[in-house]
Amino acid sequence: MNDMTPVNRKLGTMQDLKISARGVQVYYGDNHAIKDVSVDIAHKTVTAFIGPSGCGKSTFLRCINRMNDTIDVARVEGDILIDGEDIYDPKVDPVQLRAKVGMVFQKPNPFPKSIYDNVAYGPKIHGLARNKAELDEIVEKSLRKAALWNEAKDRLNAPGTGLSGGQQQRLCIARAIATAPEVLLMDEPCSALDPIATAQVEELIDELRQSFSVVIVTHSMQQAARVSQKTAFFHLGNLVEYDDTDKIFTNPQDSRTESYISGRIG
Amino acid sequence: MSNMLIMLILLGLGVVGFFLGRGRALQVAGGDRRELHSLPVYYGAHVGLNAVVPAAMLLFVWLIVQPFVVNNAASDLIAAESASEAGDLSLIMSDVRRVAEGLDLLASTEGMSDAAIAALSVDDGNLRERLAGVGVALGADVQADTLEAAKRYRAVDATGDMLRTITVILVALAGLALSWRLITPAFRARNTVEKGILAVLIAAATIAILTTVGIVLSLIFNTYEFFKLYPIGEFFFGLSWSPSFSGRGGSSELGIIPLLWGTFYISIIALLVAVPIGLFSAIYLSEYASRRVRSIAKPLLEVLAGIPTIVYGLFALLTVGPLLVDVFGQDGALGVNWMQGGTAVITAGLVMGIMLIPFVSSLSDDIINAVPQAMRDGSLGLGATHSETVRQVIIPAALPGIVGAILLAASRAIGETMIVVLGAGAAARLSLNPFDAMTTVTAKIVSQLTGDSDFASPEALVAFALGITLFVVTLALNVFALYIVRKYREQYE
Amino acid sequence: MTDATSNAPAIKGTASSLLTESPLMKKRNAAEARFRMYGVIALCIGLGFLVFLAVSILRNGIPAFTQTVVSVEFTLTQEQFDEAESKMLKTAAYTEIFVNGVTAQLQERGLDVPFDGGTIERLMGKVGGDLRSFYRDNPEAIGVPTTFELPAASRVERYLQGNLTREMVVDGRFLEAADLDVVDALAEAGIITSAFDWNFITGADTGVDNPGGAGIGVSVIGSFFMMLVVLVLSLPIGVAASIYLEEFAPRNRFTDLIEVNISNLAAVPSIVFGILGLAVFIQFAHLPQSAPLVGGLVLTLMTLPTIVISTRAALKAVPPSIRDAALGVGASKMQAVFHHVLPLAMPGILTGTIIGLAQALGETAPLLLIGMVGYVAREYPDGFASGLLDPNSAMPAQIYTWAARSDEAFFEKAWGGIIVLLLFLLTMNLIAILLRRKFERRW
Repeated sequence: MNDMTPVNRKLGTMQDLKISARGVQVYYGDNHAIKDVSVDIAHKTVTAFIGPSGCGKSTFLRCINRMNDTIDVARVEGDILIDGEDIYDPKVDPVQLRAKVGMVFQKPNPFPKSIYDNVAYGPKIHGLARNKAELDEIVEKSLRKAALWNEAKDRLNAPGTGLSGGQQQRLCIARAIATAPEVLLMDEPCSALDPIATAQVEELIDELRQSFSVVIVTHSMQQAARVSQKTAFFHLGNLVEYDDTDKIFTNPQDSRTESYISGRIG
Repeated sequence: MSNMLIMLILLGLGVVGFFLGRGRALQVAGGDRRELHSLPVYYGAHVGLNAVVPAAMLLFVWLIVQPFVVNNAASDLIAAESASEAGDLSLIMSDVRRVAEGLDLLASTEGMSDAAIAALSVDDGNLRERLAGVGVALGADVQADTLEAAKRYRAVDATGDMLRTITVILVALAGLALSWRLITPAFRARNTVEKGILAVLIAAATIAILTTVGIVLSLIFNTYEFFKLYPIGEFFFGLSWSPSFSGRGGSSELGIIPLLWGTFYISIIALLVAVPIGLFSAIYLSEYASRRVRSIAKPLLEVLAGIPTIVYGLFALLTVGPLLVDVFGQDGALGVNWMQGGTAVITAGLVMGIMLIPFVSSLSDDIINAVPQAMRDGSLGLGATHSETVRQVIIPAALPGIVGAILLAASRAIGETMIVVLGAGAAARLSLNPFDAMTTVTAKIVSQLTGDSDFASPEALVAFALGITLFVVTLALNVFALYIVRKYREQYE
Repeated sequence: MTDATSNAPAIKGTASSLLTESPLMKKRNAAEARFRMYGVIALCIGLGFLVFLAVSILRNGIPAFTQTVVSVEFTLTQEQFDEAESKMLKTAAYTEIFVNGVTAQLQERGLDVPFDGGTIERLMGKVGGDLRSFYRDNPEAIGVPTTFELPAASRVERYLQGNLTREMVVDGRFLEAADLDVVDALAEAGIITSAFDWNFITGADTGVDNPGGAGIGVSVIGSFFMMLVVLVLSLPIGVAASIYLEEFAPRNRFTDLIEVNISNLAAVPSIVFGILGLAVFIQFAHLPQSAPLVGGLVLTLMTLPTIVISTRAALKAVPPSIRDAALGVGASKMQAVFHHVLPLAMPGILTGTIIGLAQALGETAPLLLIGMVGYVAREYPDGFASGLLDPNSAMPAQIYTWAARSDEAFFEKAWGGIIVLLLFLLTMNLIAILLRRKFERRW
């Protein structure tokens, strides 16, 4: 993993801008969870959201593919644009949006189906394959991309729940990329995994950067430093600081960021 | 009444024992209760319980055993030729008991002395009238040996009663005295009393087992009697159900197949109504409905489960049946004349289905809610619509649980009685037409045991064979369903 | 990570713009709407059944609570009394006097409809006998104006309620079409009125020939005694069993057996409990048939699993810290349970018990087998022992008895009985809900 030294990090220019959030507020009932967050996320980069638990980083992540819609009491204000289109526009179908903005969750959550069906689920519902051969191809490609093909190719019909934790999480990643999203959101994808599995997933994330913009929420600062090019630090619902990862970790501008990074809060 | 009196005496002894025990405890402690191991009340309770419990248990056992002993003593006097068959002896013995009861009444109401009763003989001629005069009507004149047996019955019974009273009170006194003597300051009265309480708790928990044992034994004994009178193969494989009404006639055909078919058919219709409605309601309530709608609709739906089955029975008989006839019957709305009468398979099935809706819906609701939120998120995060998530992820994940719920509902349907008694009709037939009247196992249990037929006849005993079939089928369904549901829950815990 | 081939060609994604709905999306959204609609429809059907049931109960049952009475004010002179008493057919004479009285009243109001004693008998039963026994018992009423309130026949009642039309009347022993003219006249004159039928609430069952006079009161008492037995037995036994299983039982075969037993007993069809009751309590123990005591015993066995399950839930809800606190100050385990855990669990236990009792109250099938159905409950029990041991009916059994009778006039009574039964159940459930609300405790 030595290739992830800060040296070869190229930041996206403004032409590569993928997601642009302006003045986002989120309320859970009376609780003001996200306070006026504005952030620009570039294409084909890994952006990490860090911060202490309950700081709103996951909540903000879930705004980007409108997963907060599934919670009755959640209310989102402000604009989030993907490729210049406001995703909270009434004309936007959140279902269509989520095909474009995939998500991987904290705990591996494979469906109680076979490995094949898990990966094929997305392409099937979105009608991405015209026939079985194409579907097979998509499944294979996704599993290859998720670095699971070698382990799973002989047991595609075995239940996905029978895999190990790390394999399950890679299966979930394969499932997410099978729908050919443009953005991949990852909500603490390694928090339920052991160190070896974590390393595998992290390596995978770096590979994925070549095809997608990846936004990852993590509570591990080391992980953020290892995998991301840009880092945003959230605290108590505020976006405190957003900059290049190496800058955040070496030369933070805000005293709160510095306290967090040096382990005094969090 | 004397048993009541004995119980009162025992209770009195218990109270006396309590105060004696407490007094003794304070006395041995020299009036300083801190010297005692336990609180004084425990010493009191110790003595009181020792006085009452063993004596009461003895009384209970004695009350069960005495009738058998007395019966045996009296039946020795019955001439062997008049009791050639086993069934006859029990008939004669019931006569003996009635005569003995009558003699008791004669003694109490007419003041007949024991000597006068001993001198009674069948030759007096008017014995039957005199017994009828005190309210004991007999079917025939009293036989000599019956009268003698009745006299012996009374005598042995009276001796037993006296012995019982004396023994029980002696045991109570002994318990009181012995436990009273045990009291010293170091005596751990609380521990003994608590042991006693624990025994009571265990006994209470054992009642569940006793109930099951009671059910199984009473079913097995009577079913065994039935199969002595009726061939087992014809019962299980007979295609015709037509009990004769003459009582002891051998012309009855008692095949269970038509009844099982009726039960099965009605249950299937009930499930066809209840499962789609219940399942879709559960899906809607747990996945789509707003909190407000859910908080109103869910309890309302569950009201259907709280309504007694007699109400559904009446609803089937008086409302749904005639309504269906108006639609499907002669001169009905459809003009098809498929239905002859209001009581039919479809009537009972439909109403039973309504009854089962909340059963299916609340169980499925629980089960759907047990599917982890992560599954939903995973599917929605991939861009699946809500219905795709439900159909392709949640339902497959919840399937074992839902199957379990449906099996439980099926077991309910099979065991349901009132709706089929009132709504399904009485004719046992093997037919595919849902507009025909048919009958079920439960309905026939009721009709065979509430009729006038003799209790020892195959026509009445068959109800127990039906009962054991019903018991086994529903038990198997339940055990299987609970097993599935438990496995399902473990998967997500 | 060797096979993470980044040069694999990209999978072709969905439509590019979020703002336009692709045709596939349109289809999928339509499927979504359809699916949602199925749910709404299913829920509406379910609730619709509930409404249908409620409406048919109320529509059919409410008339059972009203009674149509013919109230006639009437003075019998001493001469009329003497004359009637001297005749051969004394009751007929009284009927004639009554007919004359009513005719006079009708004519006063300008209504002239001919009728005779036969009509009166069809409309309100044997009036003559009632009058005669009244005046013989109350000779002081002779010569004094007295108002008689006589219950009208059930067919008259149904005619006035509009459930019976002239076309439906077949001339016969019960009613002739011409009688209805008299009814109309009486109604116009205000002689036939409607009144609340207390007799239905407090009265006893009647034979098959008098549906109008049947009441549910005695069977309510029967149910009451049954519930008394159930409460007195099942609450202590159920609580004791639950305490043992929840607090003291070691995990072994024996307790496992008990647990499996309880969960299976809860699902045994109620009719099987009826068979048990018949075989054990009546055949074996020779307890009296149709007695509330036997019904109560059978229902106790049925209710026990319910009570045990809810009591255990209530005990489980008391946090272990309470037990630890009691044990920590030196209480024995038994004292900890009885002094601390049990009082805290009591509201939950009572709620469960009330719900169990409500279930038992409506249960019918086992009562059929122990003979509570064939019995016509004509008399109130006289005292406690008689209430337990004398044959009686119970509410659901009484309803079944009425529903099984051939005279349709009893059906109305059955529906009315259902209203009474449901009112009891409603009250019990409300009490349970209030108890739960009041004592609900979150740890």
